[in-house]
Amino acid sequence: MEPRIGVFICHCGSNIAGTVDIEEVVRYASTLPNVVHADHNMYSCSEDGLSSIKNKIKEKGIDRVVVAACTPRTHEPLFRNACEAAGINRYLFEFVNIREHCSWIHMKEKEAATRKAKLMVRMGVAKAALLTPQEESESPVLPSAAVLGAGVAGMTAAACLADQGFEVHLIEKSEHVGGLVKDLDWAFPSDKSGTDLVRDLKKRVTASGAKLHLGTEVIDISGYIGNFEVTVSKGGKDEKLRIGTIVVATGAEELKPVGEYGYGDFPNVITQGELETRLAKGENVGDTVMIQCVGARDQSREYCSRVCCVTAVKNAARILKREPSAGITIIHRDIMSYGVRNEALYKKTMEDGVRYLRYSLEAKPVVRGNHFANSIEFREDTLGEQVLLTFDTLVLSTPLVPNQDNGRLQKMLKVPLDRDGFFLEAHVKLRPVEFATDGVLICGSARWPSDIPECVSQAEAAAAKAAIPMRAGKVRTEAITAEVDETTCTGCGNCVATCAYGAISIVEVEGRRVARVNLAQCKGCGACVGSCHNGSIQQRGFTEKQLASMIECLTGEEEG
Amino acid sequence: MREAAAKACRTLLEKGDVDAVLGLEMVGDIPTPKVFVSGDDFSKFEVEPVFPIVTLLRNIWPFTGNERVALVVRGCHELAVKELVKREIIDGRRVRMVGLACSPEQAAICRCLRPYPATVDVGSRAEGVQDDVARKIRSMTREERLAFWEEQFKKCNKCYGCSENCPVCFCEECALEDCMFVKTEGIPPSKSFHMIRAFHVADKCIECGECERSCPVAIPLRSLQRMLAEDMKELFGFQAGHDERPSPLVATLDEAPVKGVSE
Amino acid sequence: MAEFQPRILAFCCNWCSYAGADLAGVSRLQMPPNVHIIRVMCSGNVKPEYVIKSLVEGIDGVLVLGCHIGDCHYISGNHRTLKRFALLEKLLEDVGVDKRRLRIDWVSASEGEKFQKVVSEFVDQVRALGPNQLGRGAA
Repeated sequence: MEPRIGVFICHCGSNIAGTVDIEEVVRYASTLPNVVHADHNMYSCSEDGLSSIKNKIKEKGIDRVVVAACTPRTHEPLFRNACEAAGINRYLFEFVNIREHCSWIHMKEKEAATRKAKLMVRMGVAKAALLTPQEESESPVLPSAAVLGAGVAGMTAAACLADQGFEVHLIEKSEHVGGLVKDLDWAFPSDKSGTDLVRDLKKRVTASGAKLHLGTEVIDISGYIGNFEVTVSKGGKDEKLRIGTIVVATGAEELKPVGEYGYGDFPNVITQGELETRLAKGENVGDTVMIQCVGARDQSREYCSRVCCVTAVKNAARILKREPSAGITIIHRDIMSYGVRNEALYKKTMEDGVRYLRYSLEAKPVVRGNHFANSIEFREDTLGEQVLLTFDTLVLSTPLVPNQDNGRLQKMLKVPLDRDGFFLEAHVKLRPVEFATDGVLICGSARWPSDIPECVSQAEAAAAKAAIPMRAGKVRTEAITAEVDETTCTGCGNCVATCAYGAISIVEVEGRRVARVNLAQCKGCGACVGSCHNGSIQQRGFTEKQLASMIECLTGEEEG
Repeated sequence: MREAAAKACRTLLEKGDVDAVLGLEMVGDIPTPKVFVSGDDFSKFEVEPVFPIVTLLRNIWPFTGNERVALVVRGCHELAVKELVKREIIDGRRVRMVGLACSPEQAAICRCLRPYPATVDVGSRAEGVQDDVARKIRSMTREERLAFWEEQFKKCNKCYGCSENCPVCFCEECALEDCMFVKTEGIPPSKSFHMIRAFHVADKCIECGECERSCPVAIPLRSLQRMLAEDMKELFGFQAGHDERPSPLVATLDEAPVKGVSE
Repeated sequence: MAEFQPRILAFCCNWCSYAGADLAGVSRLQMPPNVHIIRVMCSGNVKPEYVIKSLVEGIDGVLVLGCHIGDCHYISGNHRTLKRFALLEKLLEDVGVDKRRLRIDWVSASEGEKFQKVVSEFVDQVRALGPNQLGRGAA
């Protein structure tokens, strides 16, 4: 059946009519293919205007509507509602912008503006003829969350969510909660040890009702927001959890710099983490030299790990407290101790006799010793002179590096990693605790090296965001989603790689690999369509045929 | 070379490393594709002339079941296999390649920069040869270039030989058959035909030259693709077949930045 | 003889460049009437085939306008736009088509003036290039 298009040109008072010859455009519209009615209104968006359109739809048996007026960005919903009220699917409507994009910008060229308006209406009619009805739908969201990782971030997020009444599964692959913090001797600026902090947090998790799974690994994740299936394995036994949202709090690892500065060769060359363990046991470390940025801010890793300088400063203060006569030197390439309290501690350590000397990568310090390392020689960058220091303990401040598991987890969740291997959030400023993939959130050092207050804030934010769809119980899906013609799709994967939301995957259909779109995740951007070679994937409401027919309006020779 | 290649393939079959060998056999004096299985006669096994063996492998792939297939590959074929494996269009675990180095004569005919595969089992490496035709086209002015290509494209009779024989043109339903972009009636087809194909193939073309070999009117298609391969290298530092990464055209800017273009 | 009036097609993304064009309209920034906009949700939706078809079938110039890199409403759609059309510009020149008939640019929703500037500049540029003769040739 041929489409029956109704075209309604709006005067918008004198906004459009003052420049564009409305009657001429109406006359032209009535000559276009498939147009059964062409009309005009003073103000189409007014009660009168909308009534008149609705009446004409019923009177003339119109099944597709084109309104040429202002910008769709304001009134499109209004006209879509009018169509629906008149019995037409709301997606059988096309808006042509002859105000912002025509009458208002060509005010002194009335003839040219009228010609352009005619051509614009022609393009709108060509597209409208090819529109098909669409439905928006809703997808349910289970009120259950899986929090991956029971460090500070994970425990905080789990407790926040469970406190709100959601079912929470806190999944930890080791036998202990607390991640990196549990091994800390002192959590500055509190008066607590890492063990104390973690114990308090664990009490909170237990009280909240979140279910803790220790010694449990995630081996598979499938599904989408509101409806994930997370398969976990404990001691060889698998369990499938039905989950609404997922919070990634898998943290990071301390780099062990084997081969650098004698690490691995001398037993007294240790990392900050290993220092914390000794301090917690009450061991004395004597004269100490610390080297900052070992394995960071260099060829191997360009980023600054944000927490290592504060850790070094804090540990220097800690050593001095127990061993006031210990000589401590921190060799650095810039000290990053941001914020009031950190800066104050840095200053205090200087006043208490900790020396801060600068080295550069061009002249890396050399460590010497026999069974134990005992001296370090380097060129002090500010003085420009060789310095030789002796020490009892050499501490290397190394960066937090991405968890080894990130690559595996990333593929299961269909979320990206950044170029350093940490997880990549949806938007660094505006959406820092979620992924582009709906229903998956991120907090803590899994995203970038974070200190404890940052981990806690991010975890609470992630929990708040996760709660939104779970509280609503459903998510609305787009109508202008992508769809794949499985008979022509080659399974080449271009669309899968292009989709920023992980909404497309390759499935097997009768022995053939083809792409398939998850409608709950598809945002309707059409980027996938741009990457498809043979048009197997199309976007509803913006199909190739529709856009090509609009192009052909401009390449055609005749005008009206 | 023929004997050495035949021996290598037969050995793979006999050892049970593969279930079939896709190759050529002389039928009379015509080299004809054949699937050799264990026990078959290899006395007429042939490796000349250059043949779209990977295209054939790709076409029969859905019918190979779980069988492992060996084939003799030249430098270009090996790269074509890699591009197809990258996209999981064929399963690399079920393909064994016997590497054949091309002769200097063949390298000159193909204007080939690397006339041998990474692993050479048969033959010896010849020197790469520059593409003089591509160079000449590049040195023309824009107007001369347009006139040149219009002259060339005018010859096209839309036989689709180029895309049929190309190892990496894997779309059964092709954009070039879509009347929206290339009108159904009319010979020669518009420039859109060649431009769309060149673009689509750009991130996969391993410059085997099948397109040009198949063209009945000798349009220098290989040189057009050579120019695009140079563009891909310049913009993305990417070389199809050699590069393990997915196509830069579908990756983000973090994964694959564009050089020399301000964002 | 009347001055040649180029016919120009612009693909504008709903969230940034189309909104920027709206702002230009609201601000009554005057422009030459040669540009016709096709609205897409994301500039990443624009296939190189559309641009090739447009130029080969006689449109004098094509603009593809998206969000600034880093600001794409759909995260990274415009990354692909940038790459595809960097390659297409090269292809155009390789075949002898003046790449100045294609322009990629980024216009945010708040850049009404930039929209006006890009449109006016591009119309002038394409006018100077003269009518697109590609469609007239035998191939």
